[in-house]
Amino acid sequence: MATPNDDGCTLTGALSVTTEVARCVTIIHGPAGCAHHNFSLLHALHASRDFAVPPPVLSTDMTEKEVIFGGEQMLEEAIFRAVEKGPDLVCVLSTCVAAVIGDDVGAVCRVPSLVPVVHVPTAGFLGGGFLAGHIQALISLSRFAGRCEQVPSVNLIGEKTLEYEVEEHYREVVRLLTLLGAPVNVRFVCGATLDGIRRLGRASLNILRDPSMRPVGDHLYRELGIPYIDSFPLGLEGTLRFLERAGRHLSIDPSAAVAAEEALQKEMIGTFAPLRRKRVTFSTAPKAPTTEYASRFGYELAEMLELEVREGGKPVPLPDPFPVGTSGIRRLLHRWRRKCHA
Amino acid sequence: MKQIALYGKGGIGKSTTSANLSAALSEQGLDVLQIGCDPKRDSTRMLMKGRLIPTVMDLVRERGDDRSLTLEDVVFRGYHGVRCVEAGGPEPGVGCAGRGIIATFQILERLGALRADVVVYDVLGDVVCGGFAMPMREGYAEEVYLVTSGELMSLYAANNICKAISRLSSRARSRCRLGGVICNAKNLPREEDLVAEFAGRIGSSMIQFIPRDQVVQSAELNKKTVVEFAPSSDQAAVYRQLARKIMENRRLDVPVPLEIEELEALAYGYSE
Repeated sequence: MATPNDDGCTLTGALSVTTEVARCVTIIHGPAGCAHHNFSLLHALHASRDFAVPPPVLSTDMTEKEVIFGGEQMLEEAIFRAVEKGPDLVCVLSTCVAAVIGDDVGAVCRVPSLVPVVHVPTAGFLGGGFLAGHIQALISLSRFAGRCEQVPSVNLIGEKTLEYEVEEHYREVVRLLTLLGAPVNVRFVCGATLDGIRRLGRASLNILRDPSMRPVGDHLYRELGIPYIDSFPLGLEGTLRFLERAGRHLSIDPSAAVAAEEALQKEMIGTFAPLRRKRVTFSTAPKAPTTEYASRFGYELAEMLELEVREGGKPVPLPDPFPVGTSGIRRLLHRWRRKCHA
Repeated sequence: MKQIALYGKGGIGKSTTSANLSAALSEQGLDVLQIGCDPKRDSTRMLMKGRLIPTVMDLVRERGDDRSLTLEDVVFRGYHGVRCVEAGGPEPGVGCAGRGIIATFQILERLGALRADVVVYDVLGDVVCGGFAMPMREGYAEEVYLVTSGELMSLYAANNICKAISRLSSRARSRCRLGGVICNAKNLPREEDLVAEFAGRIGSSMIQFIPRDQVVQSAELNKKTVVEFAPSSDQAAVYRQLARKIMENRRLDVPVPLEIEELEALAYGYSE
């Protein structure tokens, strides 16, 4: 049996994408509650990121009456109201109830309209959870992109918009790409615009937030012919390899960038000399798959700093998701140092 | 108060049987309430001189709210004082008719409409979802009568409904049982014997054999029940007999549905 930790709802995942698109109105076709609890979550997270204005989300407010007689007409009305607000784009997310009673949400969305209307199928009971909704929404939105002449540049695909350090991770990737002299073409979907999504095809490389976004990377490779790297850089060694891979894809010699970054890493590790030879133990969230993957990076750091990892040591965090790049490790080591009072 | 539900394959004659049964029961001096539980809404038509009465769901749709509904809005008096209600439902192909049945029952409960000497629920062909099993749930019909002919597809549907009855009757406090099988004949050879044997095999009995008679068609064309249209006909007598038997029936069973092979072999055995 699934636990509340496991999966979440496809609706939440899709909403985390569509609410990032500027001037996009999101309609949730279902009971008001489906919109409310998802919206509350978004609102809280947006507030914590100092976004003053909550994203425009409408609910069709389906009640028993629509369940019995069908909800397609009220959805048409909601789309009409959304279009009246003059957005660039309307996204329609469906819910369990709409799917159970068989509302043809796709057909309603295909009715010609002044602004594009995108249907993202997100009936939670069909399974898949948050991640599936995230992927589905990105794939649905990518239909606005077309093949065009590529210039050496990078799209960032599938950033986790609800992650606390999303901007820190982004800045770190930009810093590393700048070492290579490669610009970011489009962030898909943090702070994206419809025009930006239309320009996706100009990039010559997609960098996925993490390997869970591979279905989106594969889809964009098929549709736009853009190859991908399947993760933001993680770990010290991993960050150097990231520069090499990105350079190879972009036909840029990465050796200068790698040398510069390696020097920076050495210097950075040097500033944590007081941590040397401390006795620590890794504390992770009690989720098995993370532990193994994050501990690889943990042991890498332990080796660098000659830490003794064993029971009874000072507990130091190995967060999930693991912080991105060299800067991420610097932030992490600051936390470790505090934990060790070093 | 006696609450009975008629189930069976679509087109088998549930509404005709229900309407004639209600008419015959009312002639016994009983206060009868017939509730059509089918979006097709034609269960009570012959009791209402061919009139399609407004359905509960129509009224909900028009008013947007069921709070203003009254008994007078949803209950209509037909032949010999039989009170008629139609649940109604969505247009074909949209929405959820099953939820419509559930909503109708809740509204009827709230209005206190489910009071009579006999309540007859006439339910859509197959028990396709939980909504159409509503009349079998606790507090509603305690006796289900299966309407079937001797045709295999009709027996197959009846057998399927047995699955629903046996599932529901296994719940604690459930009082839903099978009251018997009504054979609405199609004039097949040895049909009465076949249906009687089917009824026996599922652990019940055939409570009435209704022969095929042209008068049923004539009555329908005249928008009346047989009991009203041809009160002295043999067919009317059959419906009155059914009404008496149902009122006297004490045999209530938890049916045991047949395996499909068993059912086919049974029908095959009567095919020569």
